[in-house]
Amino acid sequence: MDLTEYVLAGVVLLATFWLLIARRIRAAVNGYSFQSWALAAVCLVTFLQSGRWHLLVMALSTAAIKALLIPAVLRRLVRETVYDRRETRYYVGVPSALLLGTGLSVAGFVVARQLPLVRDLLGEPVLGVSIAVVLLGFFIALARRDAAMQLTGLLVAENGLLLLGLVLGAGLPMLVDFALFLDVLVGAVVMGFLIARMHETVGSTDTSELTRLRG
Amino acid sequence: MSQTLIPVLLAVPLAAAAVTWLARPPAVLYAVGAAAHVTILALAITLLTGVVGGAEPHAFGRWLVLDHLGGVVLLIVATVGFTSAVYSIGYLHHELTERAVGRGELRRYFALLHVFVFTMLLSALAGNLGLLWTAIAGTTIVSAPLVDFYGSREPLEAAWKYIVLTTAGSMVALLGYLVLYQAGVHVLGVSYDFSFSVLSAVAPRLPAATAATAFLLVLVGFGAKAGLAPMHTWLPDAHSQAPSPVCALLSGVELNCAMLGILRAFALTAPAAGAGRLRLALLAFGVLSMLVAVVFLVSQRDFKRLLAYSSIEQMGLVAVGVGAGVPLAVSGAMLQMVNHAFSKSLMFFATGNLLLRFRTRAIGSVAGLVHDMPATAILLIVGVLALAGAPPFSLFVSEFSIVSGAAVAHQWAPALIVAALLAVGFLALVWPFNRMAFSAPPGSAGQGTTVNPIVLLPAYLSLVVVVGLGFWVPSPLHALLSGAARTLAP
Repeated sequence: MDLTEYVLAGVVLLATFWLLIARRIRAAVNGYSFQSWALAAVCLVTFLQSGRWHLLVMALSTAAIKALLIPAVLRRLVRETVYDRRETRYYVGVPSALLLGTGLSVAGFVVARQLPLVRDLLGEPVLGVSIAVVLLGFFIALARRDAAMQLTGLLVAENGLLLLGLVLGAGLPMLVDFALFLDVLVGAVVMGFLIARMHETVGSTDTSELTRLRG
Repeated sequence: MSQTLIPVLLAVPLAAAAVTWLARPPAVLYAVGAAAHVTILALAITLLTGVVGGAEPHAFGRWLVLDHLGGVVLLIVATVGFTSAVYSIGYLHHELTERAVGRGELRRYFALLHVFVFTMLLSALAGNLGLLWTAIAGTTIVSAPLVDFYGSREPLEAAWKYIVLTTAGSMVALLGYLVLYQAGVHVLGVSYDFSFSVLSAVAPRLPAATAATAFLLVLVGFGAKAGLAPMHTWLPDAHSQAPSPVCALLSGVELNCAMLGILRAFALTAPAAGAGRLRLALLAFGVLSMLVAVVFLVSQRDFKRLLAYSSIEQMGLVAVGVGAGVPLAVSGAMLQMVNHAFSKSLMFFATGNLLLRFRTRAIGSVAGLVHDMPATAILLIVGVLALAGAPPFSLFVSEFSIVSGAAVAHQWAPALIVAALLAVGFLALVWPFNRMAFSAPPGSAGQGTTVNPIVLLPAYLSLVVVVGLGFWVPSPLHALLSGAARTLAP
């Protein structure tokens, strides 16, 4: 069983790299959806291992909300507002993004080693992956100029937090998980709404053009 | 009775939002808004009287709890929420008659306003730390569309920065809370009730390094949301671009909710991690925030941005007060939160009246207000003196307690730096408003439309509170504040 969860956690990390180098918004959304499926699978495996029902509920809601609903909303938004085949711009180029991303992943594993962990369901390697995914998500949100890409970066960081929650707080009551899901869903919708407004008002979703407010 | 009172209190703004969403005529929106916020205020005061009397109202097990610390924030949300709602009615009605907003936007505004107040009430009342995080993170999500209310390019830019940076900050804070949960696992086992009361009972036995990590993550994460430098860059944009009544809530109330998230984590981690180390971190962020804010205050040309930077200064001062650690400074910091909420919302109401009339935020374009808008000019002058901390106003008392508390705690360097920054900040705040009020009227005097008197009512209410608190802090309020301070400096 250990092997399965490590493989799945590895897939979650790899999907993050997919997002890191994705040039088109649609590719990034697909990467996010794929990562969410892998995350749902991790939840499912831990459910089968422990028999705690709230993990099954989490697996199902992750699949429904993060793998299907949010990507569908984003795809629709992209189709309506942003030219989804257009290549987006970076503050950081792809080769340096890959290099920095690898560095951040290593940092995640180093941090994980420092944290004394009472093993509940998942072990230290998964903790390393989750911290790495959170860091990479923030990096994507910072390194991209496009608002829709920044949103996917934050969503990736949030996926990392969900995995981290499985490692550090699998005993948390289910209501907390639901509150978090609600925050993610509403947050993604509101940010999508702002992106649509941005496209209407500014004519693009490139945030490097939003520089009117200073001082 | 309190078992039902708390859920009712939380249900009122949600019900108001639902009715608002269904209703059409503006008069109904106004009536529902006013009625809802009067009810919230009445319920909150009933609950707070119980807390001061020694009760600890709770509902749904330990999910919703009202203690002294949450009580301070509840007081702020309920009172400033009420004045802002009343001010919103006058402000938006003016915008509606000027055709600056349509009826659909009006409905959206009030529905979002009620939900925004709901998330802030929930932050004050959450006993479970997961719920607390959700509520605080939720305040951003609900208020970002309000920042973007006018829908042009600048508000949109402000709203986007606001939601991206504070959501990222909230995620870091969640990381902190998860690490805190893990710290609790070492003592309580893998599955336990993640509530404030359960954890505080075992707080001294948490593993020290894990507890310290948790606090620092929460401090940095919610520090971004509370406007602490260097994570503050979104704040001057969001707090100046939103409609004025929303600015009053963002600056006066929402920042305190994020601060509550930090203070709760502090109270839980300090016994194990060593209060001294954690206070040092609070002091460092507090002093840095004040420094950055004062630098930008001095060079500011936009009066709403001026007020926004002043919020960064004031939240920095709250962090310094808690960081100083002695009861004098900590209870000063609690009083500071209340004072700042009232005086900052007052200033946003007063400058909102200017905006409605002159449609400009530039300090240089406004002059001779004492001739033109005497009622608003009085608000501005008295308000800015109160906000800047002139005696006899209440902010002078709380600022003095914080600085002298820091000195008593032998934190000489922070005490001196803070005193100097407060002095510079005082001049940087008072000078521009003084000029706007008293300088000779511009040639264009008399231009613009007259503002309806409803916008003056909540501002004068706040003024009465701000002046009153300077002379007399009622004993229940004093009990509430010192009770909250005891949680942070036992």
